[in-house]
Amino acid sequence: MLATLSFKLFMREIRSGYLTSMLLSLVLAVTIVSGISLFTDRLEKVLSSETQEFLGGDLKFESNDTSIKDVLETLNLKDSKSSEMAILASVIFSEEEMQLSSIKAVDNAYPLIGELELENSSGTYKTTESPTPGNIWMDERLKNLLSLEYGDKIYLGDATFVFEATIIYEPDRGSTNFAFAPKTIMNIGDIDKTNLIQPGSRVEYNYLFTGPDEEISQIRNILEENRNQGDDIESLDEDDSSLGKTIDRSENFFLLGGLIAVLLSACTIGISSQRFARRHISYVAILKTLGMNLFQIRGLYLLLFLYTTLLTLVLGLTFGWLLQSNFISLMDSYFPTELPAPSLYPLYVTCVTVLICQFGFIYPHISKLLDISPMRVLKNDISFNQNILPIFFMGLMAFLLLLYIYTNQITLSLIIFSGVIIFSFIGIGCIYLLLGKSKLGLGAQDPISLALSELRRRRLSNSFQIFAFTVAIGLSLITFSASKNLLGSWQDSIPENSPNNFAINITKEDKESMKIFLAGNDIEVDLFYPVANAQIVRTKDKDDIIDRNFNITWVEDLPGQNEIVDGDWFQEGVENGISISDEIAERYNLNMNDEIILQMEDGSIETYIQSIRAVNWESFSPNFFVIGHPSLFKEKSSTHITSFFIPEAKQKVAAELMREFRTVSVFSVEELIKQVRDIVNQVTKALNSILLLTCLSALFLAFSALQDGFDQRRHQAAILRTLGATGRFIRTSSLIEFSILGLVSGLLGSAIAQTGVYFIEARVFETIPGFYPEIWFMGPIIGILIVSGLCLYLVNGLMKQSPKELLKLQT
Amino acid sequence: MILTTKNLRKEVPSGESNLVILDDITFNLEEGKSLAITGPSGSGKSTLLGLLAGLDTATSGEIVLDGIDLHLLNEEERAILRKDKVGFVFQSFELLPSLTALENVMLPSELKSEDNPRKKGEYFLERVGLSDRQKHYPNQLSGGEQQRVAIARAFACSAKILFADEPTGNLDPKNGKLISDLLFEVNSETDNALVIVTHDQDLASQCDKKIELKLGKIID
Repeated sequence: MLATLSFKLFMREIRSGYLTSMLLSLVLAVTIVSGISLFTDRLEKVLSSETQEFLGGDLKFESNDTSIKDVLETLNLKDSKSSEMAILASVIFSEEEMQLSSIKAVDNAYPLIGELELENSSGTYKTTESPTPGNIWMDERLKNLLSLEYGDKIYLGDATFVFEATIIYEPDRGSTNFAFAPKTIMNIGDIDKTNLIQPGSRVEYNYLFTGPDEEISQIRNILEENRNQGDDIESLDEDDSSLGKTIDRSENFFLLGGLIAVLLSACTIGISSQRFARRHISYVAILKTLGMNLFQIRGLYLLLFLYTTLLTLVLGLTFGWLLQSNFISLMDSYFPTELPAPSLYPLYVTCVTVLICQFGFIYPHISKLLDISPMRVLKNDISFNQNILPIFFMGLMAFLLLLYIYTNQITLSLIIFSGVIIFSFIGIGCIYLLLGKSKLGLGAQDPISLALSELRRRRLSNSFQIFAFTVAIGLSLITFSASKNLLGSWQDSIPENSPNNFAINITKEDKESMKIFLAGNDIEVDLFYPVANAQIVRTKDKDDIIDRNFNITWVEDLPGQNEIVDGDWFQEGVENGISISDEIAERYNLNMNDEIILQMEDGSIETYIQSIRAVNWESFSPNFFVIGHPSLFKEKSSTHITSFFIPEAKQKVAAELMREFRTVSVFSVEELIKQVRDIVNQVTKALNSILLLTCLSALFLAFSALQDGFDQRRHQAAILRTLGATGRFIRTSSLIEFSILGLVSGLLGSAIAQTGVYFIEARVFETIPGFYPEIWFMGPIIGILIVSGLCLYLVNGLMKQSPKELLKLQT
Repeated sequence: MILTTKNLRKEVPSGESNLVILDDITFNLEEGKSLAITGPSGSGKSTLLGLLAGLDTATSGEIVLDGIDLHLLNEEERAILRKDKVGFVFQSFELLPSLTALENVMLPSELKSEDNPRKKGEYFLERVGLSDRQKHYPNQLSGGEQQRVAIARAFACSAKILFADEPTGNLDPKNGKLISDLLFEVNSETDNALVIVTHDQDLASQCDKKIELKLGKIID
């Protein structure tokens, strides 16, 4: 009986439209939560497999020697696989040409992950095997530079090889640090024949591992225990590539957008529930009068909300699935394979969100509704118990719980939570102070007096509305600023006309003629950075040679995309010192003012560490681990590196350049830039969808808050009109009143947004927080426009009904 | 004549057809006189009162109130007419719950931007015997007291014609008698016309004129 009655009640509520705003908010919250969590879940899975492929395994150990091999042999691993590779740079010869190449010598277990795509005279093919001894593979650039045909002889060190295939795609793209040079892959078994590796040769050994998580973590621990200075361990969660960071930050933004949308929806649900409960006072009183006990009435309403939950989940999950499919389709050109199916986690998050909304924002109102006395049937003026503290408490606790679930950080949750509470109290305090006590009468002489009188008279309900508007405006502005900040940082990293070509190995002699050549072709060129190879020796401990060569440059001005994090850039009058990147400072334990010797081919330089820099490796400009003061290197020989932008219409200039300057290596990063731009464009679309949905949630909240207030104003408007107030009079007065509310909410929303953005930039995106003046303009303007616009819509609705109809609605 | 109606008809949509609520209502009322509109529930009494007071519009027919063709006015013009010439008393009082008794009575004077609405409000509250209840809110007053505040507000309108919809309908006989006596007593002090919708035959018999409705038509 109870189930039937509650279902009838549910259907009646749906048909009457009274449940609409609550349902819409719940559906919107579920759509956003499920859409975002499904998308990020699948994205994480695919990124993990992409990173795995990029890295070449689950774990990579990088060293300058093979000493770790002894340790690895003692490992007793059941289900893991490992692969060894040696990476070095060497000049490679064909019958007619020679060229510097990055050589990757791989063992027979290569590739551990993914497959290689190669091309030979029969066409392209894929393989999961390494090159057989005697054969080598090269990338297309090297093939062209050496003018090779398949089957031609190649000379590398003391050994001769056969050119077997061109590398189209290799899975472990992140394996080499010699990214500038064209690539060759050979079998590690052939390396001894070449005699390339001699004592003091610069060789990097990579050990790749793949296997179950437990074994990988066991290997990692052993490697950590046995690593030497300069050895590096990389795993899947350390993807530092441009794309990795882009996607990582956008994922954070999606989760932030989801959280904000849920918080906004939760507030709307709270307001809608309050309206629902108010409308059901008589209903509950009648049911009690007719003999229904509390247990039955509670059951009736719980069932009603069970139906609401089920409908919400069905609709929300469907829309959520469509939303994530839309996001996936935006990005599918980036992901070569079909995305993996999502886990059950998104469903769990969605259900928990709905449950918290139900118990935190709906149930307290229903519980209060159940307290209504059956005397209400006889005395119409009996209403709720006026103590709203328990409802507030439950709502706030649910708010905090949602924050915690989504951020997973108790401190951040408490900061946001206290921020919203403090700003709301400030807002309420401002309203009380600004408006002062009510004066006698309604102030209906003119629209301005009526508006001010209404603001004074409804201070408490206005404060709640301001709270709702402030939350709506503040959180939307946070989402807006966060998305703008993300887009800005991406655009900064790849500005229009950013260099798409690099030229290296430029000799002093070629430098000037190359400048003339490029200028003659209307191509602007960046600085020509001198480059030399150096080894760093710490002098405080004579044996402490850092066993790695660094490319070093020397310039007077700090290059763009570099930021000094410790010390100062070279000052005038001081002609000494080097600046190192924070990565090598950390990796090799180098500190400010450490005295060092730079060992170079043509002599040593004694100097010290003058500053430490943060380098934006995401930028497409030449970046250096070590930069020295130019006066130290006056007598040193060097080649030069530069970068420049060649427009699409002038692509043949690159080929001419290579023909003209045959010792200069020119390579294009156009494809990489295009790939990053594409993904940024696609992520931007997804980002805007989230922004749109968040704004929609904010609009729902603002509308619900206003609608709730208008229920109480409907009666007053009817009486005022009956007594002769014109529609224009009421409209003007309401517009003034709500514009003031919008202005105050907008200012408070801006304050919340500025504070929120500060913490998000510092804690979530890990960027330097900025001040955003546009937030302070947008908040009040949006507040006035949205709040007064919605108010006008609602007032016009009231004006369409005759005063008689309005009065009838009240009785 | 303060009020004249001619062939007044009111239809409302009901499913696919229209339901006729009032049909061919024609009568007139002289200045300063009182009129009772009676009839069983659903006969269209309140609807007629709403049309006469300019709270609603007729489907066809004419209403002339104090020389003004009410049926030709739009809602904004009717609002101004109500402010200047009409007062109301409702069965369910229709006081604003957020205003005190005095503030409710001051409201018509405020809307007319009259000088010193407080003085006028206090005068009429005193006239209905509620001087000591000025600062009370409607929920702190009994039904009879609320209706007295509503009467004070209606007279504070300084209207030419006062419309009362079942003014004693929500009250017990004793309070009902008190209210009807008060209504006629205060009205006699002005030259207002009074139109009352009522089931109460005693109240109707106190009026100068009476029309009875049945199924939306005047019966003789």
